[in-house]
Order: sequence, then structure tokens, then C-alpha cells
Amino acid sequence: MEYALFYAEGDEPIAYVPAQDDIGDWVDDLGRRGASEYGERLRPDHDATTVRVRDGRLLVTDGPFTESKESIGGFDIIDVADLDEAIEIASRHPAAAFGRVEVRPFMRWPDADPAARVVPADFLERTASGRRYLMLVVAESSERRAVIGDDGGSEAATAEDAAAAAAAPAEAAASDDPDAWVTEMDARGTRLFGEVLHGPDDATFVSRRQGELLVSDGPFAESKEWIAGFDLLEVRDLAEAIEVASKHPMASGGILELRPLWPFDVHDDHTARARREADERGVRLEPPAAEALDAAIGAAL
Amino acid sequence: MATLIRTTGDWDVAEEATSGAFERAAATWPRDGVPSNPGAWLTTAARNLALDRLRRRAVESGKVREWMSEEALAGRIGGPPDPAEIAAAHQELEWDDRLRLIFTCAHPALTIESRVALTLRTVGGLETSEIARAFFVAESTMAQRIVRAKRKIQHAGIPYRVPLPEALPARIDGVLAVLYLIANEGYVASSGDRLQRVDLALEAISLVRLVVDLLPDTAEPRSLLALMLMQHARAGSRVDADGELVPLEEQDRDRWDRALITEGLALLDPIPAVDRGPYRVQAEIQAVHVRAEAAEATDWAAIVHRYDELMAITEGASPFVELARAIAIGMATDADAGLAALAALESSARLSGYHLLPASQADFLRRSGRAEPAAARYREAIALAPTAPERRFLERRLAEVERSAAPRPDPGTPG
Repeated sequence: MEYALFYAEGDEPIAYVPAQDDIGDWVDDLGRRGASEYGERLRPDHDATTVRVRDGRLLVTDGPFTESKESIGGFDIIDVADLDEAIEIASRHPAAAFGRVEVRPFMRWPDADPAARVVPADFLERTASGRRYLMLVVAESSERRAVIGDDGGSEAATAEDAAAAAAAPAEAAASDDPDAWVTEMDARGTRLFGEVLHGPDDATFVSRRQGELLVSDGPFAESKEWIAGFDLLEVRDLAEAIEVASKHPMASGGILELRPLWPFDVHDDHTARARREADERGVRLEPPAAEALDAAIGAAL
Repeated sequence: MATLIRTTGDWDVAEEATSGAFERAAATWPRDGVPSNPGAWLTTAARNLALDRLRRRAVESGKVREWMSEEALAGRIGGPPDPAEIAAAHQELEWDDRLRLIFTCAHPALTIESRVALTLRTVGGLETSEIARAFFVAESTMAQRIVRAKRKIQHAGIPYRVPLPEALPARIDGVLAVLYLIANEGYVASSGDRLQRVDLALEAISLVRLVVDLLPDTAEPRSLLALMLMQHARAGSRVDADGELVPLEEQDRDRWDRALITEGLALLDPIPAVDRGPYRVQAEIQAVHVRAEAAEATDWAAIVHRYDELMAITEGASPFVELARAIAIGMATDADAGLAALAALESSARLSGYHLLPASQADFLRRSGRAEPAAARYREAIALAPTAPERRFLERRLAEVERSAAPRPDPGTPG
């Protein structure tokens, strides 16, 4: 089964100690198991740009869709036997020790080729021909209530069936049918890959404190918004990323968050790396969202 | 059903097929006679029904995954089955399928409420409506909880197996917590017209036995089993023939189940201090009670000592443990000591709304002959009592103290 792992500070973060960062060993182990598909670190959340369409108007803002402690700092896509293996892998990621790892299963479409993976097999060999952004597709809770369950069509013969129909699965919010968008962006070479995730009810949170593994179903009951899926984009610049995101159907019902990647050498001396990066950590390297929007509109005219 | 879940990977199909097989049995056995091996008959019937159901669904929707499940299932039922072989396999499967199910249903990625509900529904075979009643929620709420949990098992890929040895210790606590909750609900129902739910208690005992079989040398499963057995040993004497509550000191100790007590005590062999967990300490408290030949002979000081230990080893002392400790202090010393300990707990307001706090205060006031304040506390407790037998017991006590508080009737007054 394939899972996305999202790394975040969570509610009770402890200080990150670069000297204890063993991400290199973690990546090597994943490679040995053949479990790794792809993963990246993301630029800090002040480099995020959110894109929304409301009442026919395109709105862009600097910063993440949610408060920073929930904002994700990186991700991996893994292919493992089951949730227990995913939890075991997540628990050994350095982020589990100072923050938390969110384990999210991908949607498995009934008509999909069983051999197909989220990340195309030859993806890592391709050279980048533009700037890459992770586009997070964020759903909002009003959506969650509005959608209709995927098994809502069946007969409600028992109380459980009735409940199944009533408990509309959150992931349907993301199926705001992006097919046309996917076809268009694949043809343009803009969308490298992407997939829908199962809803927040199916998420699992993993962390490690004082050597103890903590697993929970995630405090999602009150959350107003959640990541419903993502796409990896390859574009010229932020202006083009905004234009691509604004065409996604979820720009109207939800939020699209554009996150530039922040690659690093996992086998680096992390203390030295953290020192080198200190200066560029706290500043926005992306152009202001409003400026990028003007450029996007200019390009379209 | 456990076997079907593993074969089809689909909980709903498995459940439907299982109940379908029972229906079919109900329709045909009275007419054709009970087959020589009813278990194997049911298994085969359920498998065939699951196969039909998957075939139908696959044809209707053209979905690939169900075709794959069907292939797997068809492969399994190929060839003429030897009933003896099936029965042998079935015996064996029953044990580890149930154990697998426990670990799946009690997986930490599910909410604790879902774990309890799913374990009772799937492993214990209770109806959704029964579980809803046991936990005082609407049937539709409980049904939705179970549906969500089953959906998560499927979507999130929660495996259907006993965890690997290295992961087992971390998972066992979560399983025991679920079984403890079920046993507690069995011991003192949180609502309804019965004090205890013997069915839940028995189910919890049979499930914890499976865990003890899996980990015979681990202390906490053994201690939890001991705790449950000694609690359950008193089940028959805790209510009278009319279902009315009989308090501990008035129970007929000859009616306690000696076989269960002996088994429970035998599980409490000496263990190193580091292995003493919360279930061990609670089991030892039960052991003090069951060893006492009469209520007056109870070693309450030993019980206070155990509650102190329990509060020390469990993080964030539970107010319920504090309440039990306060009662033990009163029984070990005198009513005033008990009332002082209960007053401290009352001022913390952590048990506000819980009937046993005023009920305990009323009891100590009654014992020390303060009838009027006792009556006031009994009224408070009656208003909060969750089950009918507890409410009626408190009403009887209230009537007693009201009689003793009432001024002696004037012999000159008629009537």
C-alpha cells in the first residue's frame, strides 16, 4: 500500500537538534527496503503561496493555509505492506522525535492498474526543466458536510448501511472532478504526478517521545481544513504556478497551497547545514504573491 | 467470520455472508436435520455466500478489486472439502483468527471508542443495538462509529494479523485497555435497568484469555485476567433474586465462585517489583476482598496501601481511584477519616455529577448515625444514579435513615 508521510511540528514540538538528525540513515534504510518512491523537504511556510477563487475572483496570499504548527515541512511517498510498516517507518523519521508524522493512505481507484504507483517509475531519472512546487489540495469542512458518500447509492438495509450512507467520506470533497485539469496539465508537461488521499478520518499520527512510540487517530474532529491530495508541478515561476493552481476545480471550493521544494543532502553534516541555512530560513525567497499574480495576469493578456 | 475477513479483505461482505449462513441454517436445519459438523457447514455456507456476493458486486460495478478477492476466495474453496479437515482447521483458526481480530480491532490508529465498539461487534459478536445500549449512545451513533472504524481499517491498511514480536509489547497495552473497558462495563453497567452485564464480563474474560495464551509469561495480561475472574466470581451475589443490588458487606460469601477465585489467585504469582502494573495492583485489591472470610475481616489497610501504589504508578491519578481510596481509608480507620478524604475529593470538583461520591458520603454519615445529613446525600446520589438497581438501593437506604431520623410518633395521635 502507498502512503504519504507529512512532517509537521504538531501540538507539542520539542527543539530540533541537528546533531541528532539521522535522516541519512533513514533514507538509506528506506532505499534498502525498496519502500521509497519520492520525498522532499519544503521551504518554510512563509514561502507558501495560497490560491483561491471566490465569487469568480482569484485571491492569492503569502503564507500557508493554516497556522504554522500544523504546516508541513516535508513529505515522503512510500510503498509498504500495510499501516503497521508505515507506522514503523514513520516512527524512525527524525521528525517523529521532535514533531510528528502524519500517515495518510492514498486513494486506491478500483479501475486503476494495480502495478501503477503514485510516482512514475522513471521519475527520479528525469532532469528538472523548471521550478518545482508541491501543490497541496486543501479541503474545507463545509465541503466535508456537503459531499455525498461513495456508497450512498446502495440500499440501506441495516442501521450500519444507513450510517455508511450518512457518514459521507471526506475524500469525496477532493473528487471535485479534477480530470479535465489533470488532462490539460499533463499535456502541458506541468503536472509531474499527483494523487488524492483518503480523508482525515483515515489518517494516523505518529511520534516518538522518550523512546516511546505514540500512535493516535489524529485530532481531526475539529479541524476545519485538511490536505485532500497533492500534485507536483514543474513550471517557469511562481506566476505560472498560480495560473495552474487557479484552474484547478478545488480553487473554488477549497484552497491550493503552493510550496517550493527545498532539497538538501541527507548525508550532510546537519549541524553545519543548519548553520549555513540559518540566514535563508527566516525570509521569504519567493516573490510576493500579489506581484506574482500581476505577472500571471500579464502573461494571460 | 474472521476467516472470511481475511480471505475477502472486506468486512461488510464477511459480516453479511456470516449472518446469511446462520439464516440459511435456521431455514434448513429444522427441515433437513442438523449436519454432523455444524461449524464446517456454516463456514462453507458463509464462504459460498461471500463468493456470490462478490461475484454479483463485480458484475454490477465491473470493479477490479472485487474480482481479485473473488479469485482468492475461489482458489480457497476449490476441491471437495473433507469435513474432518475443515473442522480441524476451523478449531485452530478460531483461536488465531480471534486473536488477529483483537489486534486489528484494538489498533491504536482507531479512536478508543471505536476500538471498544468494534471489538465487541466483530470479536464478541454483539449486535450494534446491544453495544449502543451498553455505552448509552443512540444506535445510529454506534452504527456510524463502527462503519467509520471498518472503513478506516480498509482505507488505511490496518493489517489483519498479530503484530511482530518486536512490536507486540507496545501494542499489548492498547489491547488490554480495550478489554478492561469491556470488563468494567460488564461489572458495573453505565446505564440501564441491570447492575451488571454478565455477557460483557464473560466476553472480556474469554478475550483476555486469548492474550494470556499468546503471552503466557507476561505479567499484565495475567493480572488483568486475575482481576476479571475475581470480580466475576462475585457476580451471582451482587444482585438478589429480584435483581436488587446487594452491597459487598451484605453479600453471601458462600455464593462466590470458588473455582474462579482459585484460578484468579493462582495467576498472581510473585513477580519483580518493576513488573507491577496497574492491573496487578487492582487484582491484588480484589484478592484482599476475596480472601476475607467475612466483610469485617477485610484488611482495609492493605487496600489503602494498594491504592497508594496504584496512584503512584498511573500518571495523573484517576478521580475514581481516589474515590475508592477515600472509601478504603474510611473503612480502615473510621467514618470521619473517610468523610475527610471524600470532602477533599469533592472540593476538587473532579467527580461532580458522579453518583458514587454523594452515595459514599451518605454511607459514612449513616454509619456514624448522622441521619439527616445522610438523607440529604442519599437524595443527591439518587438523582445521579445511572442504573435502576443502584437507584432503588439508594432509595431503600434513604428510607432507612429517614425512619431513624423521624421523631418518634406520639402514642396519643391516632393512626
